[in-house]
Amino acid sequence: MSTMSFLSGQERLVLELRELYQGHGCMRFPMRRFEEYALYLENKSFLTSEQVLSFTDGNGKLMALKPDVTLSIVKHARRGREGVEKLYYIESVYRASPTDHEFKEIEQIGVEYLGNVDRYATSEVVWLALESLRCCHREYVLDISHMGLTAGLMNECALDDETRRAAFGLISQKNVHELRTLLAQKGVSQEMTERFAGLITLTGTVEEMLAKAAELAAGEEALRAVAELKQLYSDLKALDMSNRIRLDFSIDSDLDYYNGIVFRGYLEGAPRAVLSGGRYDHLMTKMGKDADGFGFALYLDELNSLFMLPRREEIDILACYSPEDDAAKVLAAVKSLRDCGLRVLATSGEAPDLFAYRHYRFNGERFVEVE
Amino acid sequence: MLNVALPKGRLGDKVYNLFKQIGYDCRAMEDGDRKLVLRDPDGEVSYLLVKPSDVAIYVEHGAADIGVVGKDVLLEGGNDVYELLDLGFGKCRMAEAAPVDFKENKQRPLRVATKYPRIAKKYYASICREIEVIKLNGSIELAPILGLSDVIVDIVETGTTLKQNGLDVRREILPISARFIANKASMKFKEAQIRDIQQKLAAAIMEKAGEKK
Repeated sequence: MSTMSFLSGQERLVLELRELYQGHGCMRFPMRRFEEYALYLENKSFLTSEQVLSFTDGNGKLMALKPDVTLSIVKHARRGREGVEKLYYIESVYRASPTDHEFKEIEQIGVEYLGNVDRYATSEVVWLALESLRCCHREYVLDISHMGLTAGLMNECALDDETRRAAFGLISQKNVHELRTLLAQKGVSQEMTERFAGLITLTGTVEEMLAKAAELAAGEEALRAVAELKQLYSDLKALDMSNRIRLDFSIDSDLDYYNGIVFRGYLEGAPRAVLSGGRYDHLMTKMGKDADGFGFALYLDELNSLFMLPRREEIDILACYSPEDDAAKVLAAVKSLRDCGLRVLATSGEAPDLFAYRHYRFNGERFVEVE
Repeated sequence: MLNVALPKGRLGDKVYNLFKQIGYDCRAMEDGDRKLVLRDPDGEVSYLLVKPSDVAIYVEHGAADIGVVGKDVLLEGGNDVYELLDLGFGKCRMAEAAPVDFKENKQRPLRVATKYPRIAKKYYASICREIEVIKLNGSIELAPILGLSDVIVDIVETGTTLKQNGLDVRREILPISARFIANKASMKFKEAQIRDIQQKLAAAIMEKAGEKK
């Protein structure tokens, strides 16, 4: 029996990921399970759901069980751009399910780089995201986009906030037909509309898509976005994982917080994105930090569908005693088995539903094997 | 192999015919089988026949890779899926209807009976009208007649049912038609096949539209 064999698939994955992140010099960020409610109130739109589990502490202060980790990390981050702080976390977050509105405890693991996130650091975060996906499943894909691309086009069209929100919603659904109608209603030129439509429906290799995106981009911001993507891709090619990278300009993230590179990770067999990340300099500024922020989170609950095969629960010895036996003697007998390194389940009742290599019965003095 | 979720009933038959036209036929579908999962041993797709309001749920959770669903269901469900194409059939409108002689009292919230609470809430919020939603599952037209609600929000095809019950369309909320949707993760791993179906469907619809003209 190997030392790790009792771990579930998910537990093993978490250990592997910790090794990966620490191997890149990331420090584990220690955290409490709760924060002041005000932190979430001020950044409500950063959260995926507005519902937060709140409670009052002894001093009458309103507290909340963490619905998100990034906000806490940014809040506690040291100020400044000297160097980069590389952090990772494994934490539970508490969120309401969008379907039944009941709160769920979700385990999240993620990486955040804060400070001066330069070209190398940016590539390293995306590399870690790719490696994290690889730890989860053989078949994985990382979709990458840049917020500046669609946002830049929208600036060129001078769209108002409400239209932008609606347009981003449609872009995230790759809903070209309704986007065309919306932009036409807002008086956007046919030429600009076709640029949007072109970006959302682009397919092909990353190189082809980058070339086409450069043609479709309009305005300084969008062109800068394409240049940044090109840079990132050429850096990542060094890793020999570039066949796992796709471009998808329909990725949606909140513009109030995110800017720059954004990405989503998918695994074959999991119906939704299991990893999500991006650059959030806007959030840093909002929280009064003069630094860059870049990171991602892996949603362990989304991996459940991959760990669905039931594992055989097993034990070395099923040790049965009767209620009349002397408890002290049973204890001593179990201890001597445990001292030999055996996994022992001592029970006086029905044997539970698990596989036992050997069955023992207590004879008043010690456990003896039964056939 | 792609799993295609189709709504059981008239719309589903129409959609299947369209899929057949672009080369995705399935003998089991035509045998009049009452099975819910239909696939040919050598076929490229298998069809799942599900309740119309469940199509988007199957697709969102990855039980089906693609599907066809009414825009009404999609808006009400708020499902996180790609909406790749407006198929242009199954057309109707989401509308507010009220008894012919209805006079609105703006001093109190409007009582709205509907199968679509999410769509109704969003619509009335957009026109700044406070409402009280009464969620019903069928025979919505009955609600204003019995005084259960002031108005209804429902899909209207020809308006005949409304007329027979003494109701009239007051405001149109949005046009509805059948949409071709895809699961977000399936799109990453089976993109070529999904795009191929999308393009063929688009071409078939264009052709049909051309014939009508």
